[in-house]
Amino acid sequence: MKEFSIVGKHVPRNDARAKATGTAVYTDDIKLPGMLHGRLLRSPFAHARIVGIDTSRAEALPGVKCVITGEDIPKVKYGNWRLFPETQDEYALAVDKVRFIGDEVAAVAAVDLDIAEEALGLIEVEYEELPGVFDIDSSIKEGHPVIHDYCPTNISVDRKIEYGDLEKAFAESDYVREDVFTVHPVSHAYLEPCSALAQCDLDGRITLWTSTQVPYIIQCLLASTLEMRENDVRVIKPFVGGGFGGKMELRAWEFCAAFMAKKTGKPVKFTLSRDEEFLAGRRRHGMKLYSKVGFKKDGTLTGKDFRVYLDGGAYNAMGPTATFLCGNFGAMLYRYPSYRYLGEHVYTNKPPASAMRGFGAPQAIFATETQMSIAAEELGMDPIELRMKNAQVSGDEITGFATISSCGFKEALEKVAEMSGWKEKRGNPKEGRGIGIGCYSFISGGAFNWFNTQYPYSAAEVRVFDDGTAHLLTMAADIGQGCDTALKQILAESLGLKMEDIRITSADTAMTPQADLGAWGSRLTLFNGNAVLDAAEKIKSKLYGAVSARFNMNVIHDFECKNGRVFPKGKPDRGLTFGEAVAMVQKAQRGEPLLAHGYYTPRDKGLVTPAFSFGAQVAEVEVDKKTGIVDVKKFWTAHDCGTVINPRAAEGQLEGSIQMGLGYALSEQFIMDGGKTLNTNFLDYKMPNAMDMPPSEVVHLDTYEPEGPMGAKEAGEGLAIPTAPAIAEAVFNATGYRCRDLPITPEKILKAIEESESEKGGSKSTMK
Amino acid sequence: MKHVITLNVNGDPYAIAVNPWQTLNEVLRENLNLTGVKLGCGEGDCGACTVIVDGRAVSSCLSLAVEMEGKKILTAEGLAPTGETLHPIQEAFIDKGAIQCGFCTCGMEMSALHLLTKNPSPTESEIRESIAGNLCRCTGYTKIVEAIGAAGEKMRESSERKSS
Amino acid sequence: MKRLSHFEYRVPKTVEEAIELLESGGPDARLMAGGTDLIMKMKLGAISPKFVISLKKISGLDAIAFSEKTGLTIGATALLADVATHPDILKHYPAVAEAARGTANVQVRNMGTVVGNLCNASPAADNAPTLLAMGATVHILGAGGKRDLPLDQFFQGPGRTALQGAEIVTAVSVPVPPPASGAAYLSLSARGKLDCTAVGAAAFVTMQNDVCGDLRLYIAACGPTPLRAPGAEEILRGKAPTDDLLEMAGRQACAEASPITDLRASADYRTKIIAVLASRAIKAAGKRALER
Repeated sequence: MKEFSIVGKHVPRNDARAKATGTAVYTDDIKLPGMLHGRLLRSPFAHARIVGIDTSRAEALPGVKCVITGEDIPKVKYGNWRLFPETQDEYALAVDKVRFIGDEVAAVAAVDLDIAEEALGLIEVEYEELPGVFDIDSSIKEGHPVIHDYCPTNISVDRKIEYGDLEKAFAESDYVREDVFTVHPVSHAYLEPCSALAQCDLDGRITLWTSTQVPYIIQCLLASTLEMRENDVRVIKPFVGGGFGGKMELRAWEFCAAFMAKKTGKPVKFTLSRDEEFLAGRRRHGMKLYSKVGFKKDGTLTGKDFRVYLDGGAYNAMGPTATFLCGNFGAMLYRYPSYRYLGEHVYTNKPPASAMRGFGAPQAIFATETQMSIAAEELGMDPIELRMKNAQVSGDEITGFATISSCGFKEALEKVAEMSGWKEKRGNPKEGRGIGIGCYSFISGGAFNWFNTQYPYSAAEVRVFDDGTAHLLTMAADIGQGCDTALKQILAESLGLKMEDIRITSADTAMTPQADLGAWGSRLTLFNGNAVLDAAEKIKSKLYGAVSARFNMNVIHDFECKNGRVFPKGKPDRGLTFGEAVAMVQKAQRGEPLLAHGYYTPRDKGLVTPAFSFGAQVAEVEVDKKTGIVDVKKFWTAHDCGTVINPRAAEGQLEGSIQMGLGYALSEQFIMDGGKTLNTNFLDYKMPNAMDMPPSEVVHLDTYEPEGPMGAKEAGEGLAIPTAPAIAEAVFNATGYRCRDLPITPEKILKAIEESESEKGGSKSTMK
Repeated sequence: MKHVITLNVNGDPYAIAVNPWQTLNEVLRENLNLTGVKLGCGEGDCGACTVIVDGRAVSSCLSLAVEMEGKKILTAEGLAPTGETLHPIQEAFIDKGAIQCGFCTCGMEMSALHLLTKNPSPTESEIRESIAGNLCRCTGYTKIVEAIGAAGEKMRESSERKSS
Repeated sequence: MKRLSHFEYRVPKTVEEAIELLESGGPDARLMAGGTDLIMKMKLGAISPKFVISLKKISGLDAIAFSEKTGLTIGATALLADVATHPDILKHYPAVAEAARGTANVQVRNMGTVVGNLCNASPAADNAPTLLAMGATVHILGAGGKRDLPLDQFFQGPGRTALQGAEIVTAVSVPVPPPASGAAYLSLSARGKLDCTAVGAAAFVTMQNDVCGDLRLYIAACGPTPLRAPGAEEILRGKAPTDDLLEMAGRQACAEASPITDLRASADYRTKIIAVLASRAIKAAGKRALER
């Protein structure tokens, strides 16, 4: 491993003090003079035609300053997939029709929240209820109600991947396994409810402070929906209380705040309630996954046929990306000589599903991993042995979409087996105890340009000063994951400065360099890190020139920046301090400030991502066979994220991922009655608390990603994937209950124990 | 009818006219601009709004402001009143990497203070129980639990130094 | 975020004054002890009272008292947190302390009260089953005077109690546990360690030479109120609690409850779990009795 002075070291977050003292300002904390408070009226029906809306009583209420409906706004649809405009299917406020319970119908801005709330009750909407569809099967069966007129099939997006001769592969297989899996939607459950505040400038431009992961996307889509130019909209991301994929699209309140600020000339703020977040908020896609895999007798994979339906809810949101990625993830982890994927995104009258940590992978890989474990059982092999046999390795390539430059998957498998005492525990099972494995691979940012941007994918600006400091400007959106700190570390390392020498300004579209697709798909460390390094290299080459001239050095000498100095390699005494070197350059430039732009766009790395992370996790459980309650005793994880930029941050990502994965596997779910979400609070949407968390051990494998900044790649999203399949396999090991239908509930376990047979339903296998 | 209440927040006296239906959370956030008091659910489930009232950690979203007459209230802003030296709990949260998005942090610190005041040497399971009413979606709680343990140690050391 | 509907706030200094306010306010008035349940119901729009009468300023109403003769008395505004940590309760009524400690989270326990938890009359109330099993009595004061009511007769249905008109529960009391007696409360939620109870079972047992003497079993969250299971009690009364008998008693308890399907569990799952928790609670209570 390469030695660094700041990268890889424990460096506290740059915002930790502000957050610990309560001085960090989140969107809802901001107040502006004359500010109005907004509230949204939501549809009580899952599918209905809007016959008429009467806002007169609401408008007449003293204190109400503005009431708008779909009639009042420009009829511009939006959606993140600008490359395919037909997928842009949303208006900020419903026009003609509502498509899910919670769909935004009208907005009110008033002098205080109590009045705004009261005004909502005075808006009269006449609906004509339409039949709704609430699951994949009824949405696509003959005679189904149509949710969007443009899409008579209710299947809004499909994606196909095919390589190798699959039919031949199955024909030549000794063992073919077919299963159907269903996975459920879950909530991001970020702690900070969404909030947006808009202000209209003197010249009619808009400034929007918003709790978002994607300031640049918001800027562009807000501009188009307001029929303004992009540069007339400024989006500022204050501190954000978590996102996990749930804050990566333009949303109704962001549009309404801006539109109403323009209309009233006053700042307008909207903050959602937790109830709204659960009732109408985005969620992870529920899916139905058909998977067929073939093996040779010795366990060698021959091919996979993967067909997936995504329950998209009422709008596309980030569903097209999930449809796209699900197929890619289905082909990852193991070497499938032939592979076929068909993914279809299906509309239903439910709150839209969208991006959520793992983005198609938790679902696809739950199917992959569970099926691998079933196959191991039936082939009479150890589950880890079967995985080792088929594992992807460095240098593997899937033509057209994936090049795997670094891969520590096999090392991860070996490491978790050793850490967890796998052999011993699988060999001598204790009553009620079980141990299971789950693996993952994930992307380090997406390469597919669905947003159709002309800008680079990530950019950075570095300004340096003669007092020995630097200022980093980046559009990277720190939503809690810590990219501000990681990028500062990368810049400090590169320029040989200390953390306190670097000031950062991030995520303000009017100030920070164009562009950045935002915090999603685990792209910031690799993409923005590379952009920062690119800028730093440009600065350094200027500094090196100045120092070389100053000391009249032979041109063959190389230079370095270290410990606040710029000097020829190996001759630290011959150099200048960083500040002196900057001053020299500026002198040479006759006063021109020294700054540089850097950027990164992935090229020739396939359609998916420039680098993949890998890892494996083992879970040990104890199941109370009388109640079906699963108690996870411990997790062991080994992961390959390349160079670890900030160890505590990487551990924190893992620990948080486990919480989310544990909830996904065992306790979190939306309880629905048709289109209505019944559990709209944290009491009944049960995410694990501090008492629910088992102990965990982790090893970061020593790998180096050539495409990544200083060898780094994805570190925090992929880890949300292995936990559910690891627990499911451990529960099987303990009880014989094989979960193909998440979540794993005590009720399902008890039922399976009673029936005491686990192979049932839509699964079959043939052994020749 | 508004009620004028006098209360002490972070050491400072206030007299505020409040409506009976205003929660303590609304008064702290909206009248006193205390951003260390968050509102995560408004239903007493998430703990982000936790403050200390007369020595007890409570949910400010379920407390009526009108009932705060004569009470002493502490928020995260009051943990390190001068702003120079941080409270050991804050230091530990920073050092241990217990903070990610930060939205739960202030409430966690309040629950930690409540625990460590009553129980200076808590076990890990006591720490976990004490913050079971504070949800976090980022950290998995591991580093928060570590930080509270470390803060307890620091606080014990400094009180031993004072008493010896 | 949800805002409260508008109301007037009253803060009486004596119980008598509170009763007068309650009488004059009629159905528009609500009493508030800790407020955790009341404020939530108001935020959810389930109720919107015109008057909220706070009991917090009534002196002495938060008292917790114990004597070897009369037993334990928990005042109307005594906090769950104080009940959970009170030395006499920990010593003589550990199951009562455990139930208080198992209620919601730290913040709610620092605000909410045991009596408030009872008056809210949720079938899933964590403090009711243990107090019922231990034979608790509620002390009621109203315009018509004082009356005491066995807790067993207090619950009338979800959210409904035997309180009439302008009556206030001033305290709940629990008799001194007889020698060689023990109580235990087990609750289960399907989803995590701190959660709303999906099924609960409380048992109180006196043991005479390994044989069950007096025995009371209550099942929570499986009917309109916590339910007693006399048939299950009968199976064990006068017998040694063998595993077979415990299992039989558990099955009988299922037959005596009336679980429904809701957000937290299905009726079918609840039925299975009643049997498990009932027998485990009796076993745990019996073990405690023998340890005393």
